[in-house]
Amino acid sequence: MTNMRNLILGAVFLVLLIAVPPLLDLAWQNALVNILIASLFALAFNLLIGQAGLLSFGHAAYFGIGAFAALHLMIAVENGLPFPTPLLPLAGAAAGLTVGLIAGYFATMRSGVYFALVTLAIAELFHSLAPRLEGMFGGEAGIASMRMPWASFTFGSMLSVYYLVLAWVVICGLGLWAYTRTPFGRLTLALRDNEQRVRFLGYNAHASKVIVFAISAMVTGIAGSLLAISNETANYSLFASAVSSQVVLQTFVGGATVFLGPVLGAAAFALFSFLVSDLTRSWVLYQGLIFVLVMLYAPSGIGGVVEHHIRNRKNLDWSRLAGPYLLALAGGLLIAAGVVFLTESASILFGEEYAMARQGANGGLPAYELFGLIWKPLSFVTWTVPAALLAGGGVVLMRARREIGAIWDSKGHGARPAAKSASMGGAA
Amino acid sequence: MEFAIISALNGVTYGLLLFMVSAGLTLIFGMMGVLNFAHASFYMLGAYVAYAVSSIFGFWTGVIVAPIVTGLIGMAVERFLLPKVHKHGHAHELLLTFGLALIIEELVKLFFGDFPVNYQMPASLRFSAFHIFGADYPFYRLFIGGVAVVMFTALWLLLTRTRTGIVVRAAERLPAMAEALGHNIPMVFMFVFGTGAALAGLAGAVAGAFYPTNPNMGLELGVIVFVVVVVGGLGSLKGSLLASLLIGLFSSFAVGLDWSLAKLLGLVGLGEWARSIGGLMTLELSSVSATIPFALMLIVLLVRPAGLMGERN
Repeated sequence: MTNMRNLILGAVFLVLLIAVPPLLDLAWQNALVNILIASLFALAFNLLIGQAGLLSFGHAAYFGIGAFAALHLMIAVENGLPFPTPLLPLAGAAAGLTVGLIAGYFATMRSGVYFALVTLAIAELFHSLAPRLEGMFGGEAGIASMRMPWASFTFGSMLSVYYLVLAWVVICGLGLWAYTRTPFGRLTLALRDNEQRVRFLGYNAHASKVIVFAISAMVTGIAGSLLAISNETANYSLFASAVSSQVVLQTFVGGATVFLGPVLGAAAFALFSFLVSDLTRSWVLYQGLIFVLVMLYAPSGIGGVVEHHIRNRKNLDWSRLAGPYLLALAGGLLIAAGVVFLTESASILFGEEYAMARQGANGGLPAYELFGLIWKPLSFVTWTVPAALLAGGGVVLMRARREIGAIWDSKGHGARPAAKSASMGGAA
Repeated sequence: MEFAIISALNGVTYGLLLFMVSAGLTLIFGMMGVLNFAHASFYMLGAYVAYAVSSIFGFWTGVIVAPIVTGLIGMAVERFLLPKVHKHGHAHELLLTFGLALIIEELVKLFFGDFPVNYQMPASLRFSAFHIFGADYPFYRLFIGGVAVVMFTALWLLLTRTRTGIVVRAAERLPAMAEALGHNIPMVFMFVFGTGAALAGLAGAVAGAFYPTNPNMGLELGVIVFVVVVVGGLGSLKGSLLASLLIGLFSSFAVGLDWSLAKLLGLVGLGEWARSIGGLMTLELSSVSATIPFALMLIVLLVRPAGLMGERN
């Protein structure tokens, strides 16, 4: 019954993904492509942390390798190699798998935090080496190519690229989901839960981890090659630690314990960065704040919180919960508004433009514009507004948290989700 | 000869700087099992606090205030943030500090801009220590090394010769037992974390005046420090000293050498063939000096996965 419903839900979602994009403008289509790629990247990353319990801080390496491999193949196609354009990500898969096998061999020699450090160092190795290798990575400028037409498809429009990316992401996503259902997928979970026991049962733990690592790197390589196909260019900045940390943030905010959690996180972050990156320079700061809040108050991520509610949906008195939840949302929004006000004010007051304006005002502190209003830096009002927002939001949130906690407790499910859902408001 | 001596001096001072930062990291890890991703951010924060303070109150005040500020922030992190995620395991503690590192870096960018700031050593320290091979050797390099050595001696004496040191070492080995004997272990943990952060802050305040002070300095050094602890063996102070010096020396020698795989193969008559291949073969050592630490780490992982001085895990 549940399976049937999930299947229908998935089908409806897929139909939406296919039917809606032609109605959108180019910017949105581009954003959707990036969301899909980020989702696949996060899914592949989560195979390691969510399934095998291995925390990689260097997945940019395999993402970048996949992108460069696809570009080299694209250049070859440009020069006359008869290779169907839709199958270009296979190059990324092969490169990701190869590099993943080698890197995974080293990285999985150690476990725990050592593993994280080694993966980070391997990614930095690529990042430091890539600009020096002209032939392979095109130096600092990188390499570029063109999508060649294949059969009756020209791949000239963003929309055709979108469908190509969608097909690959859906196939790989289903493949990864199927993987969790295989005996080896079960073994992967066992590696996370009790590696010692896996070894005693006669499995070769190191070899198994190398395989899991290589599969994750392979799918990451596919995601990277999809980006290369969409952008038609790549340079060494794909190996940067920012790329690696981005996928960590997305996966854990989305929820590493739920299969589709990383997709949720990746979609949310990619969408937000599309919407607000023009408006603020502090987007990464907000991401960091959201991540830390989720780590502190909802360690299982958005996906975990949602899953918990779905599991308990029959036992919950939704009519009683709705009020406190709305209250929590309001409190979270108030606090978010206060934080955004302070951050953007700081961004303006410590920015270069303001320094110029100060010179114009003979070292005084001229007023600045924010959210369409004029604020004076030394005025009492300017700093009372964010203070009131933060304090008010705090009071409202604490009240909501108490009420939600009481309702959950009365249902006999422990005090757990009160803090989580309260913070979810803050995070949103 | 000239090259060897200058490179050795530079390598040792850089290695000592690496040790200043990695010591705190390894101490905290050995004790609490927390790998502090924000540790290198404390290094960067130290440089920026010292820069901000020294522009008003002078260099020395900055160097004193920076470790105090970073130490206090470190204590606050240990006291208020880490316990909340402790029950979810070490991975979550690591992730929390990772998020903090991101926030610290972005805050620094917010207040100081995403470009290097002009943090300079005072004129009173800007002189040459000695004249060697027709070049002046800056005193400040020796000063950085000297600060590291003094810090280490103090730390080592504190850990091995005082009562506090015994409690700290006991807390590292058997926290539950030490607590049962009546010692306030949470307090010890907080102070060790604070001390580690303060050491990183001090290193930043001292080194930032010599090396560029920019928002990337934390990450750049942080990655090398992680390599140091993997090579040396996490939790081992001696190991990180050895690995710091090793990586410092390797990096400083590599900068000046134009060796390449092609040249090496040239010794056995394959030089032409290697040059015709290009790519990796003709890369000169000097241009890949940033890569040396990582290569060293991979070799150590192959030969001795537990690190030079680490216990087998």
